[in-house]
Amino acid sequence: MSREATTAGGLQRPTLRTETPSYDDAFDAVVVGAGLAGTAAALTMARDGLDVLMLERGPAPGTKNVFGGVLYTPTIRELVDIDGAPLERYVAEKRFSILSSDGDETAISMRPGAWRDEPHNDSYTVLRRRFDEWFAKQAVEAGVTLVTETTVTGLLRDGGAVVGVTTDRPDGEIHAPVVVLAEGANSLVSEGAELKERPERDAVAVSVKEVFKLDRDTIDDRFRLDGDAGAAYQYFGEGAVGEAVGGGFVYTNKRSVSVGVVYRVEDAAAGQTPEATLDAFESHPAVAPLVRGGRRIEYSAHVVPEGGARAMPDLVHDGAVVVGDAAGLVLNSGVHLEGTNMAVESGYHAGKAIAAALADGRSDAEALAAYARDLDQSFVVENLRHYDWFQRTIAADRQFLFEDLPRALASAETEYFKMDRASKDEHTGAARDHLVAAAGGWFGAAKRAWRFRRMLS
Amino acid sequence: MSTAQPHVPDVSIEDRLYTVKYRDAGESHLGVENPDVCADCTTNECTSVCPAAVWTVDPDGDGVPSIAYENCLECGTCRYGCPYDNVEWSYPKTGGGVVFKQG
Repeated sequence: MSREATTAGGLQRPTLRTETPSYDDAFDAVVVGAGLAGTAAALTMARDGLDVLMLERGPAPGTKNVFGGVLYTPTIRELVDIDGAPLERYVAEKRFSILSSDGDETAISMRPGAWRDEPHNDSYTVLRRRFDEWFAKQAVEAGVTLVTETTVTGLLRDGGAVVGVTTDRPDGEIHAPVVVLAEGANSLVSEGAELKERPERDAVAVSVKEVFKLDRDTIDDRFRLDGDAGAAYQYFGEGAVGEAVGGGFVYTNKRSVSVGVVYRVEDAAAGQTPEATLDAFESHPAVAPLVRGGRRIEYSAHVVPEGGARAMPDLVHDGAVVVGDAAGLVLNSGVHLEGTNMAVESGYHAGKAIAAALADGRSDAEALAAYARDLDQSFVVENLRHYDWFQRTIAADRQFLFEDLPRALASAETEYFKMDRASKDEHTGAARDHLVAAAGGWFGAAKRAWRFRRMLS
Repeated sequence: MSTAQPHVPDVSIEDRLYTVKYRDAGESHLGVENPDVCADCTTNECTSVCPAAVWTVDPDGDGVPSIAYENCLECGTCRYGCPYDNVEWSYPKTGGGVVFKQG
Protein backbone atom coordinates (compact mmCIF):
# COMPACT_ATOMS: atom_id res chain seq x y z
CA MET A 1 0.00 0.00 0.00
CA SER A 2 1.22 3.49 -0.68
CA ARG A 3 -0.31 6.73 0.40
CA GLU A 4 -0.15 9.33 -2.32
CA ALA A 5 -1.37 12.87 -2.26
CA THR A 6 -3.07 13.98 -5.41
CA THR A 7 -3.01 17.70 -6.00
CA ALA A 8 -5.65 18.48 -8.54
CA GLY A 9 -7.22 21.90 -8.71
CA GLY A 10 -5.68 22.82 -5.37
CA LEU A 11 -7.58 19.99 -3.67
CA GLN A 12 -5.42 17.67 -1.57
CA ARG A 13 -6.96 14.25 -1.52
CA PRO A 14 -4.93 11.43 0.03
CA THR A 15 -6.03 8.10 -1.36
CA LEU A 16 -5.02 4.54 -0.61
CA ARG A 17 -3.98 2.59 -3.64
CA THR A 18 -2.46 -0.79 -4.26
CA GLU A 19 1.08 -0.51 -5.56
CA THR A 20 0.23 -2.44 -8.69
CA PRO A 21 -2.28 -0.55 -10.82
CA SER A 22 -5.00 -3.19 -10.87
CA TYR A 23 -5.38 -6.90 -10.49
CA ASP A 24 -8.79 -6.85 -12.13
CA ASP A 25 -8.98 -9.17 -15.14
CA ALA A 26 -5.20 -9.63 -15.02
CA PHE A 27 -5.12 -13.27 -13.90
CA ASP A 28 -6.36 -16.65 -15.04
CA ALA A 29 -7.22 -17.70 -11.50
CA VAL A 30 -7.58 -16.18 -8.04
CA VAL A 31 -6.77 -18.38 -5.04
CA VAL A 32 -8.41 -17.42 -1.76
CA GLY A 33 -6.03 -18.34 1.06
CA ALA A 34 -2.30 -19.16 1.04
CA GLY A 35 -2.48 -22.29 3.17
CA LEU A 36 -1.47 -25.76 2.02
CA ALA A 37 -4.39 -26.39 -0.33
CA GLY A 38 -4.31 -22.91 -1.87
CA THR A 39 -0.57 -22.89 -2.35
CA ALA A 40 -0.60 -26.39 -3.88
CA ALA A 41 -3.29 -25.25 -6.32
CA ALA A 42 -1.49 -22.00 -7.15
CA LEU A 43 1.84 -23.74 -7.66
CA THR A 44 0.31 -26.40 -9.89
CA MET A 45 -1.44 -23.82 -12.07
CA ALA A 46 1.66 -21.63 -12.34
CA ARG A 47 3.71 -24.63 -13.44
CA ASP A 48 1.09 -25.23 -16.14
CA GLY A 49 1.63 -21.71 -17.41
CA LEU A 50 -1.30 -19.87 -15.82
CA ASP A 51 -1.14 -16.39 -14.32
CA VAL A 52 -2.22 -16.91 -10.72
CA LEU A 53 -3.08 -14.43 -7.98
CA MET A 54 -3.07 -15.80 -4.43
CA LEU A 55 -4.73 -13.68 -1.75
CA GLU A 56 -3.94 -14.10 1.94
CA ARG A 57 -5.76 -12.19 4.65
CA GLY A 58 -2.92 -12.44 7.19
CA PRO A 59 0.29 -10.38 7.14
CA ALA A 60 2.11 -13.48 5.81
CA PRO A 61 1.13 -17.02 4.80
CA GLY A 62 0.73 -19.18 7.90
CA THR A 63 -0.19 -16.38 10.29
CA LYS A 64 -3.81 -17.56 10.50
CA ASN A 65 -3.12 -21.28 10.29
CA VAL A 66 -3.19 -23.84 13.07
CA PHE A 67 -3.00 -27.62 13.05
CA GLY A 68 -2.00 -30.39 15.42
CA GLY A 69 1.48 -30.95 14.26
CA VAL A 70 2.23 -33.60 11.62
CA LEU A 71 2.63 -32.76 7.94
CA TYR A 72 2.35 -35.69 5.54
CA THR A 73 4.46 -35.02 2.46
CA PRO A 74 3.92 -37.60 -0.31
CA THR A 75 2.34 -35.05 -2.67
CA ILE A 76 4.24 -31.96 -1.50
CA ARG A 77 7.46 -33.80 -2.23
CA GLU A 78 6.33 -34.25 -5.83
CA LEU A 79 5.64 -30.52 -6.13
CA VAL A 80 8.67 -29.00 -4.42
CA ASP A 81 12.09 -29.98 -3.15
CA ILE A 82 11.45 -30.29 0.58
CA ASP A 83 15.12 -30.58 1.47
CA GLY A 84 15.17 -26.87 2.16
CA ALA A 85 11.80 -26.83 3.93
CA PRO A 86 11.51 -25.79 7.58
CA LEU A 87 10.65 -29.28 8.83
CA GLU A 88 10.96 -29.80 12.57
CA ARG A 89 11.50 -33.54 13.08
CA TYR A 90 10.55 -36.71 11.23
CA VAL A 91 8.12 -39.01 13.02
CA ALA A 92 10.23 -41.87 14.38
CA GLU A 93 7.69 -42.99 16.94
CA LYS A 94 3.92 -43.21 17.01
CA ARG A 95 2.37 -43.84 20.37
CA PHE A 96 -1.30 -44.47 21.12
CA SER A 97 -2.33 -44.05 24.68
CA ILE A 98 -5.53 -44.49 26.66
CA LEU A 99 -5.89 -42.33 29.76
CA SER A 100 -8.43 -42.71 32.53
CA SER A 101 -9.41 -39.78 34.70
CA ASP A 102 -7.88 -41.64 37.66
CA GLY A 103 -4.36 -41.17 36.31
CA ASP A 104 -4.10 -44.57 34.59
CA GLU A 105 -2.31 -44.92 31.26
CA THR A 106 -2.16 -47.87 28.86
CA ALA A 107 -0.11 -47.27 25.73
CA ILE A 108 1.24 -48.95 22.66
CA SER A 109 4.32 -47.50 21.01
CA MET A 110 5.85 -48.26 17.63
CA ARG A 111 9.22 -47.32 16.19
CA PRO A 112 9.72 -49.26 12.96
CA GLY A 113 13.31 -49.03 11.82
CA ALA A 114 12.07 -48.14 8.33
CA TRP A 115 10.80 -44.78 9.57
CA ARG A 116 14.38 -43.76 10.35
CA ASP A 117 15.26 -44.01 6.66
CA GLU A 118 14.49 -41.26 4.16
CA PRO A 119 11.91 -40.13 3.28
CA HIS A 120 10.80 -41.10 6.81
CA ASN A 121 7.39 -42.37 5.75
CA ASP A 122 6.64 -38.80 4.58
CA SER A 123 5.70 -37.76 8.11
CA TYR A 124 7.22 -34.66 9.72
CA THR A 125 6.29 -32.35 12.54
CA VAL A 126 6.21 -28.73 11.40
CA LEU A 127 5.08 -25.35 12.67
CA ARG A 128 2.65 -23.88 10.19
CA ARG A 129 3.81 -20.27 10.33
CA ARG A 130 7.25 -21.25 9.09
CA PHE A 131 6.22 -24.04 6.77
CA ASP A 132 3.33 -22.28 5.03
CA GLU A 133 5.42 -19.20 4.46
CA TRP A 134 8.15 -21.31 2.88
CA PHE A 135 5.68 -23.29 0.76
CA ALA A 136 4.03 -20.09 -0.52
CA LYS A 137 7.49 -18.77 -1.38
CA GLN A 138 7.99 -21.79 -3.64
CA ALA A 139 4.76 -20.85 -5.42
CA VAL A 140 5.93 -17.26 -5.83
CA GLU A 141 9.19 -18.52 -7.31
CA ALA A 142 7.11 -20.53 -9.78
CA GLY A 143 5.44 -17.30 -10.88
CA VAL A 144 2.45 -16.91 -8.55
CA THR A 145 1.58 -13.36 -7.46
CA LEU A 146 1.02 -13.36 -3.70
CA VAL A 147 -0.80 -10.47 -2.05
CA THR A 148 -1.10 -10.49 1.73
CA GLU A 149 -3.23 -8.44 4.14
CA THR A 150 -6.06 -8.70 1.69
CA THR A 151 -9.33 -10.22 2.81
CA VAL A 152 -11.72 -11.67 0.29
CA THR A 153 -15.18 -10.50 1.36
CA GLY A 154 -17.34 -12.19 -1.26
CA LEU A 155 -17.64 -13.59 -4.75
CA LEU A 156 -18.58 -11.77 -7.95
CA ARG A 157 -21.33 -13.39 -9.99
CA ASP A 158 -22.46 -13.17 -13.53
CA GLY A 159 -25.71 -15.06 -13.77
CA GLY A 160 -25.02 -18.11 -11.66
CA ALA A 161 -21.33 -18.26 -12.44
CA VAL A 162 -18.55 -17.07 -10.17
CA VAL A 163 -16.49 -14.51 -12.08
CA GLY A 164 -14.15 -13.15 -9.41
CA VAL A 165 -13.86 -11.89 -5.85
CA THR A 166 -14.50 -8.76 -3.85
CA THR A 167 -11.81 -7.73 -1.36
CA ASP A 168 -11.45 -5.20 1.41
CA ARG A 169 -9.03 -3.15 -0.70
CA PRO A 170 -10.08 0.11 -2.35
CA ASP A 171 -11.42 -0.76 -5.80
CA GLY A 172 -11.02 -4.29 -4.61
CA GLU A 173 -13.06 -6.16 -7.22
CA ILE A 174 -10.98 -8.72 -9.05
CA HIS A 175 -12.49 -10.52 -12.01
CA ALA A 176 -10.90 -13.81 -13.08
CA PRO A 177 -12.11 -16.90 -14.96
CA VAL A 178 -11.69 -19.22 -11.95
CA VAL A 179 -11.69 -18.77 -8.17
CA VAL A 180 -10.13 -21.40 -5.91
CA LEU A 181 -11.68 -21.34 -2.43
CA ALA A 182 -8.93 -22.42 -0.08
CA GLU A 183 -10.06 -20.34 2.86
CA GLY A 184 -9.90 -23.04 5.51
CA ALA A 185 -12.35 -24.62 7.93
CA ASN A 186 -14.06 -21.37 8.86
CA SER A 187 -15.21 -20.90 5.27
CA LEU A 188 -17.15 -17.65 5.35
CA VAL A 189 -16.81 -16.81 1.66
CA SER A 190 -17.94 -20.22 0.39
CA GLU A 191 -20.87 -20.24 2.80
CA GLY A 192 -21.79 -16.63 2.13
CA ALA A 193 -21.86 -17.38 -1.60
CA GLU A 194 -23.90 -20.55 -0.97
CA LEU A 195 -21.28 -22.83 -2.46
CA LYS A 196 -21.56 -24.87 0.71
CA GLU A 197 -23.78 -25.05 3.74
CA ARG A 198 -22.53 -24.34 7.20
CA PRO A 199 -21.59 -27.74 8.67
CA GLU A 200 -23.72 -29.05 11.51
CA ARG A 201 -22.41 -28.57 15.02
CA ASP A 202 -21.86 -32.28 15.62
CA ALA A 203 -19.68 -32.49 12.50
CA VAL A 204 -17.19 -29.91 13.72
CA ALA A 205 -14.52 -30.24 16.39
CA VAL A 206 -12.68 -27.54 18.33
CA SER A 207 -8.97 -27.84 18.93
CA VAL A 208 -6.88 -25.89 21.39
CA LYS A 209 -3.13 -26.19 21.39
CA GLU A 210 -0.13 -24.84 23.23
CA VAL A 211 3.49 -24.80 22.18
CA PHE A 212 5.96 -25.27 25.01
CA LYS A 213 9.57 -24.18 24.59
CA LEU A 214 12.08 -26.76 25.78
CA ASP A 215 15.72 -27.17 24.87
CA ARG A 216 16.65 -29.74 22.31
CA ASP A 217 18.51 -32.08 24.69
CA THR A 218 15.61 -32.11 27.11
CA ILE A 219 13.22 -33.13 24.33
CA ASP A 220 15.65 -35.77 23.05
CA ASP A 221 16.10 -37.25 26.54
CA ARG A 222 12.47 -37.04 27.58
CA PHE A 223 11.13 -38.66 24.41
CA ARG A 224 14.15 -40.95 23.77
CA LEU A 225 15.08 -39.31 20.47
CA ASP A 226 18.27 -38.58 18.61
CA GLY A 227 19.19 -36.48 15.60
CA ASP A 228 16.09 -35.33 13.74
CA ALA A 229 13.90 -38.09 15.15
CA GLY A 230 10.58 -36.98 16.62
CA ALA A 231 7.56 -38.40 18.40
CA ALA A 232 3.83 -38.29 17.70
CA TYR A 233 1.71 -39.25 20.71
CA GLN A 234 -2.07 -39.57 20.49
CA TYR A 235 -4.29 -39.89 23.53
CA PHE A 236 -7.80 -41.20 24.04
CA GLY A 237 -10.12 -41.64 26.95
CA GLU A 238 -11.63 -39.62 29.76
CA GLY A 239 -8.17 -38.59 30.95
CA ALA A 240 -7.53 -36.97 27.57
CA VAL A 241 -10.80 -35.13 26.88
CA GLY A 242 -13.05 -35.70 29.90
CA GLU A 243 -16.70 -36.25 29.08
CA ALA A 244 -16.21 -35.34 25.43
CA VAL A 245 -15.62 -37.36 22.28
CA GLY A 246 -12.17 -36.65 20.94
CA GLY A 247 -8.53 -36.96 21.87
CA GLY A 248 -5.31 -35.31 22.92
CA PHE A 249 -1.92 -35.05 21.26
CA VAL A 250 1.73 -34.34 22.01
CA TYR A 251 4.16 -33.75 19.13
CA THR A 252 7.85 -32.91 19.36
CA ASN A 253 9.30 -30.08 17.33
CA LYS A 254 13.02 -29.28 17.28
CA ARG A 255 13.02 -27.01 20.31
CA SER A 256 9.41 -27.08 21.38
CA VAL A 257 6.57 -29.47 22.09
CA SER A 258 3.02 -29.05 20.74
CA VAL A 259 0.29 -30.16 23.13
CA GLY A 260 -3.41 -30.02 22.53
CA VAL A 261 -6.89 -31.49 22.58
CA VAL A 262 -9.54 -31.90 19.87
CA TYR A 263 -13.16 -32.69 20.62
CA ARG A 264 -16.65 -32.03 19.32
CA VAL A 265 -18.04 -28.50 19.52
CA GLU A 266 -21.18 -30.29 20.68
CA ASP A 267 -19.39 -31.26 23.90
CA ALA A 268 -17.99 -27.77 24.42
CA ALA A 269 -21.48 -26.35 23.95
CA ALA A 270 -22.71 -28.75 26.63
CA GLY A 271 -20.41 -26.98 29.06
CA GLN A 272 -16.97 -28.57 28.88
CA THR A 273 -14.79 -25.59 28.00
CA PRO A 274 -11.71 -25.89 25.77
CA GLU A 275 -9.50 -24.29 28.40
CA ALA A 276 -10.55 -26.63 31.21
CA THR A 277 -10.17 -29.61 28.89
CA LEU A 278 -6.65 -28.57 27.96
CA ASP A 279 -5.81 -27.93 31.64
CA ALA A 280 -6.95 -31.41 32.63
CA PHE A 281 -5.03 -33.07 29.79
CA GLU A 282 -1.83 -31.16 30.57
CA SER A 283 -2.23 -32.04 34.25
CA HIS A 284 -2.65 -35.77 33.69
CA PRO A 285 0.23 -37.61 35.37
CA ALA A 286 1.07 -39.30 32.05
CA VAL A 287 1.30 -35.98 30.20
CA ALA A 288 2.49 -33.38 32.69
CA PRO A 289 6.08 -34.70 32.94
CA LEU A 290 6.46 -34.37 29.16
CA VAL A 291 6.04 -30.59 29.28
CA ARG A 292 7.39 -29.92 32.77
CA GLY A 293 9.56 -26.81 32.87
CA GLY A 294 8.48 -25.77 29.37
CA ARG A 295 7.68 -22.15 28.76
CA ARG A 296 4.40 -21.47 26.99
CA ILE A 297 5.21 -19.64 23.77
CA GLU A 298 1.90 -19.81 21.97
CA TYR A 299 -1.72 -20.64 22.62
CA SER A 300 -3.91 -21.27 19.57
CA ALA A 301 -7.23 -22.72 18.54
CA HIS A 302 -9.07 -23.85 15.45
CA VAL A 303 -12.15 -25.68 14.29
CA VAL A 304 -11.72 -28.99 12.49
CA PRO A 305 -14.28 -30.31 10.00
CA GLU A 306 -14.97 -33.90 10.99
CA GLY A 307 -18.10 -34.64 9.03
CA GLY A 308 -16.33 -37.08 6.72
CA ALA A 309 -17.41 -37.94 3.18
CA ARG A 310 -21.09 -37.29 3.87
CA ALA A 311 -20.42 -33.68 4.86
CA MET A 312 -18.35 -32.80 1.78
CA PRO A 313 -19.84 -29.91 -0.20
CA ASP A 314 -20.01 -29.79 -3.99
CA LEU A 315 -16.38 -29.30 -4.98
CA VAL A 316 -16.98 -27.78 -8.39
CA HIS A 317 -19.11 -24.82 -9.46
CA ASP A 318 -19.30 -22.60 -12.52
CA GLY A 319 -16.09 -20.60 -12.17
CA ALA A 320 -15.07 -21.92 -8.76
CA VAL A 321 -13.68 -24.92 -6.91
CA VAL A 322 -13.47 -25.66 -3.17
CA VAL A 323 -10.33 -27.31 -1.73
CA GLY A 324 -8.73 -28.35 1.59
CA ASP A 325 -10.44 -27.73 4.94
CA ALA A 326 -13.07 -25.57 3.21
CA ALA A 327 -14.13 -28.78 1.45
CA GLY A 328 -14.11 -30.69 4.75
CA LEU A 329 -11.11 -32.81 3.77
CA VAL A 330 -9.99 -34.08 7.19
CA LEU A 331 -9.67 -37.71 8.20
CA ASN A 332 -10.09 -38.82 11.80
CA SER A 333 -10.27 -42.57 12.16
CA GLY A 334 -8.96 -42.58 15.70
CA VAL A 335 -5.69 -44.10 14.53
CA HIS A 336 -5.20 -41.84 11.49
CA LEU A 337 -5.41 -38.06 11.91
CA GLU A 338 -4.80 -36.49 8.53
CA GLY A 339 -5.57 -33.24 6.77
CA THR A 340 -2.40 -31.67 5.38
CA ASN A 341 -1.87 -34.40 2.80
CA MET A 342 -5.49 -34.21 1.75
CA ALA A 343 -5.33 -30.43 1.41
CA VAL A 344 -2.28 -30.62 -0.85
CA GLU A 345 -3.76 -33.45 -2.90
CA SER A 346 -6.99 -31.51 -3.45
CA GLY A 347 -5.08 -28.35 -4.42
CA TYR A 348 -3.01 -30.32 -6.87
CA HIS A 349 -6.00 -31.98 -8.58
CA ALA A 350 -7.91 -28.67 -8.64
CA GLY A 351 -4.93 -26.90 -10.22
CA LYS A 352 -4.57 -29.57 -12.89
CA ALA A 353 -8.27 -29.51 -13.74
CA ILE A 354 -8.36 -25.71 -13.96
CA ALA A 355 -5.34 -25.62 -16.27
CA ALA A 356 -6.94 -28.21 -18.57
CA ALA A 357 -10.31 -26.40 -18.59
CA LEU A 358 -8.77 -23.00 -19.34
CA ALA A 359 -6.72 -24.54 -22.13
CA ASP A 360 -10.08 -25.32 -23.73
CA GLY A 361 -11.24 -21.78 -23.01
CA ARG A 362 -13.75 -22.97 -20.42
CA SER A 363 -14.34 -22.47 -16.71
CA ASP A 364 -17.83 -23.90 -16.19
CA ALA A 365 -18.55 -26.65 -13.67
CA GLU A 366 -18.64 -29.33 -16.34
CA ALA A 367 -15.19 -28.35 -17.58
CA LEU A 368 -13.82 -28.29 -14.01
CA ALA A 369 -15.45 -31.60 -13.06
CA ALA A 370 -12.16 -33.45 -13.54
CA TYR A 371 -11.12 -32.07 -10.15
CA ALA A 372 -14.03 -33.70 -8.33
CA ARG A 373 -13.57 -36.90 -10.31
CA ASP A 374 -9.82 -37.14 -9.70
CA LEU A 375 -10.19 -36.40 -6.00
CA ASP A 376 -12.98 -38.95 -5.77
CA GLN A 377 -10.66 -41.59 -7.17
CA SER A 378 -7.74 -40.56 -4.96
CA PHE A 379 -6.90 -41.76 -1.45
CA VAL A 380 -8.52 -38.57 -0.12
CA VAL A 381 -12.16 -39.40 -0.72
CA GLU A 382 -11.59 -43.15 -0.61
CA ASN A 383 -10.29 -42.85 2.96
CA LEU A 384 -13.08 -40.49 3.99
CA ARG A 385 -15.64 -42.96 2.68
CA HIS A 386 -13.95 -45.91 4.31
CA TYR A 387 -13.98 -44.32 7.76
CA ASP A 388 -17.32 -42.54 7.47
CA TRP A 389 -18.78 -44.83 10.12
CA PHE A 390 -16.14 -44.02 12.70
CA GLN A 391 -17.23 -40.73 14.28
CA ARG A 392 -20.81 -41.86 14.79
CA THR A 393 -19.77 -45.22 16.18
CA ILE A 394 -17.39 -43.86 18.80
CA ALA A 395 -19.88 -41.19 19.79
CA ALA A 396 -22.47 -43.91 20.35
CA ASP A 397 -20.01 -46.00 22.39
CA ARG A 398 -18.35 -43.17 24.30
CA GLN A 399 -19.08 -44.46 27.80
CA PHE A 400 -17.36 -47.78 27.08
CA LEU A 401 -14.45 -46.46 25.02
CA PHE A 402 -13.61 -43.35 27.03
CA GLU A 403 -14.52 -44.29 30.60
CA ASP A 404 -15.00 -48.02 31.17
CA LEU A 405 -12.27 -49.37 28.91
CA PRO A 406 -9.37 -47.20 30.22
CA ARG A 407 -10.24 -48.15 33.81
CA ALA A 408 -10.77 -51.82 33.00
CA LEU A 409 -7.40 -51.96 31.25
CA ALA A 410 -5.69 -50.43 34.26
CA SER A 411 -7.47 -52.83 36.63
CA ALA A 412 -6.58 -55.80 34.43
CA GLU A 413 -2.92 -54.72 34.27
CA THR A 414 -2.81 -54.22 38.02
CA GLU A 415 -4.33 -57.65 38.52
CA TYR A 416 -2.26 -59.48 35.90
CA PHE A 417 1.08 -58.28 37.28
CA LYS A 418 0.06 -58.29 40.94
CA MET A 419 2.75 -59.44 43.36
CA ASP A 420 1.25 -61.43 46.19
CA ARG A 421 1.05 -65.12 47.07
CA ALA A 422 -1.77 -66.04 44.70
CA SER A 423 -0.96 -68.00 41.53
CA LYS A 424 -0.48 -66.44 38.09
CA ASP A 425 -3.50 -68.43 36.97
CA GLU A 426 -5.73 -66.70 39.52
CA HIS A 427 -4.41 -63.28 38.52
CA THR A 428 -4.92 -63.96 34.83
CA GLY A 429 -8.52 -65.02 35.46
CA ALA A 430 -9.23 -61.90 37.54
CA ALA A 431 -7.59 -59.67 34.93
CA ARG A 432 -9.73 -61.22 32.20
CA ASP A 433 -12.85 -60.72 34.30
CA HIS A 434 -12.21 -56.97 34.48
CA LEU A 435 -12.02 -56.68 30.71
CA VAL A 436 -14.94 -58.94 29.94
CA ALA A 437 -17.14 -57.18 32.49
CA ALA A 438 -16.30 -53.75 31.03
CA ALA A 439 -17.08 -54.99 27.52
CA GLY A 440 -20.49 -56.30 28.61
CA GLY A 441 -19.68 -59.99 28.92
CA TRP A 442 -18.30 -62.27 26.22
CA PHE A 443 -21.20 -61.48 23.94
CA GLY A 444 -20.72 -57.72 24.35
CA ALA A 445 -16.99 -58.07 23.76
CA ALA A 446 -17.56 -60.00 20.54
CA LYS A 447 -20.11 -57.46 19.36
CA ARG A 448 -17.73 -54.56 20.04
CA ALA A 449 -14.80 -56.34 18.40
CA TRP A 450 -16.97 -56.76 15.31
CA ARG A 451 -18.13 -53.15 15.36
CA PHE A 452 -14.61 -51.75 15.55
CA ARG A 453 -12.91 -54.32 13.30
CA ARG A 454 -12.75 -51.74 10.51
CA MET A 455 -10.52 -49.47 12.55
CA LEU A 456 -7.55 -51.57 11.59
CA SER A 457 -8.75 -52.77 8.21
CA MET B 1 -6.94 -42.80 42.57
CA SER B 2 -3.48 -41.71 41.61
CA THR B 3 -1.32 -39.85 44.05
CA ALA B 4 0.60 -38.09 41.29
CA GLN B 5 0.44 -34.33 41.55
CA PRO B 6 -0.27 -32.24 38.47
CA HIS B 7 3.04 -30.84 37.26
CA VAL B 8 1.63 -28.12 35.09
CA PRO B 9 1.20 -24.96 37.15
CA ASP B 10 -2.08 -23.13 37.27
CA VAL B 11 -2.40 -20.96 34.22
CA SER B 12 -5.03 -18.35 33.52
CA ILE B 13 -6.59 -17.43 30.19
CA GLU B 14 -4.78 -14.11 30.48
CA ASP B 15 -1.43 -15.96 30.74
CA ARG B 16 -2.32 -17.96 27.67
CA LEU B 17 -3.53 -15.06 25.58
CA TYR B 18 -0.42 -13.12 26.56
CA THR B 19 1.56 -15.54 24.38
CA VAL B 20 -0.49 -14.60 21.32
CA LYS B 21 0.43 -11.79 18.96
CA TYR B 22 -2.34 -9.60 17.55
CA ARG B 23 -2.73 -6.67 15.22
CA ASP B 24 -5.70 -4.67 16.31
CA ALA B 25 -8.06 -4.27 13.38
CA GLY B 26 -9.64 -1.31 15.17
CA GLU B 27 -13.17 -2.66 14.90
CA SER B 28 -14.90 -5.84 15.94
CA HIS B 29 -15.22 -8.60 13.37
CA LEU B 30 -17.71 -10.32 15.68
CA GLY B 31 -21.24 -9.47 16.65
CA VAL B 32 -24.69 -10.89 17.28
CA GLU B 33 -27.27 -11.03 14.53
CA ASN B 34 -30.26 -10.42 16.75
CA PRO B 35 -29.80 -9.25 20.38
CA ASP B 36 -33.33 -10.43 21.27
CA VAL B 37 -32.25 -14.02 20.64
CA CYS B 38 -29.40 -13.57 23.15
CA ALA B 39 -31.74 -11.96 25.66
CA ASP B 40 -33.93 -15.08 25.56
CA CYS B 41 -31.00 -17.52 25.58
CA THR B 42 -30.33 -19.17 28.94
CA THR B 43 -27.62 -21.62 27.92
CA ASN B 44 -24.99 -19.17 26.60
CA GLU B 45 -23.06 -21.72 24.56
CA CYS B 46 -20.93 -18.90 23.11
CA THR B 47 -19.30 -18.44 26.51
CA SER B 48 -18.49 -22.12 27.01
CA VAL B 49 -17.21 -22.98 23.53
CA CYS B 50 -14.87 -20.01 23.09
CA PRO B 51 -11.25 -20.86 23.96
CA ALA B 52 -10.28 -17.20 24.28
CA ALA B 53 -12.83 -15.68 26.69
CA VAL B 54 -14.19 -13.46 23.93
CA TRP B 55 -17.83 -13.93 24.93
CA THR B 56 -19.08 -13.05 28.41
CA VAL B 57 -22.61 -12.66 29.66
CA ASP B 58 -23.24 -10.51 32.71
CA PRO B 59 -25.63 -12.49 34.94
CA ASP B 60 -27.26 -9.24 36.07
CA GLY B 61 -27.40 -7.74 32.59
CA ASP B 62 -29.74 -7.99 29.61
CA GLY B 63 -28.35 -11.36 28.48
CA VAL B 64 -26.61 -9.94 25.42
CA PRO B 65 -22.96 -11.00 25.52
CA SER B 66 -20.15 -8.51 25.58
CA ILE B 67 -17.51 -9.31 22.99
CA ALA B 68 -13.77 -8.94 23.63
CA TYR B 69 -12.94 -9.30 19.93
CA GLU B 70 -9.28 -8.35 20.58
CA ASN B 71 -8.82 -11.77 22.26
CA CYS B 72 -10.19 -13.70 19.30
CA LEU B 73 -8.04 -16.56 17.96
CA GLU B 74 -10.26 -16.69 14.85
CA CYS B 75 -10.98 -20.37 15.39
CA GLY B 76 -14.63 -20.03 14.42
CA THR B 77 -15.98 -22.24 17.20
CA CYS B 78 -18.61 -19.71 18.31
CA ARG B 79 -20.22 -19.83 14.87
CA TYR B 80 -20.96 -23.50 15.40
CA GLY B 81 -21.49 -23.35 19.14
CA CYS B 82 -24.47 -21.00 19.01
CA PRO B 83 -27.55 -23.19 18.50
CA TYR B 84 -29.48 -20.23 17.07
CA ASP B 85 -26.89 -19.41 14.40
CA ASN B 86 -26.87 -15.91 15.90
CA VAL B 87 -23.15 -15.19 15.73
CA GLU B 88 -22.07 -12.58 13.21
CA TRP B 89 -18.57 -13.40 12.04
CA SER B 90 -16.45 -11.74 9.38
CA TYR B 91 -12.73 -11.99 8.73
CA PRO B 92 -10.84 -9.05 10.31
CA LYS B 93 -9.88 -6.54 7.65
CA THR B 94 -6.51 -5.82 6.01
CA GLY B 95 -4.23 -8.11 7.95
CA GLY B 96 -5.83 -7.40 11.33
CA GLY B 97 -6.46 -9.90 14.08
CA VAL B 98 -4.41 -12.80 15.35
CA VAL B 99 -0.89 -13.33 13.95
CA PHE B 100 0.33 -16.80 14.81
CA LYS B 101 4.10 -17.15 15.17
CA GLN B 102 4.09 -20.95 15.53
CA GLY B 103 0.76 -22.38 14.38
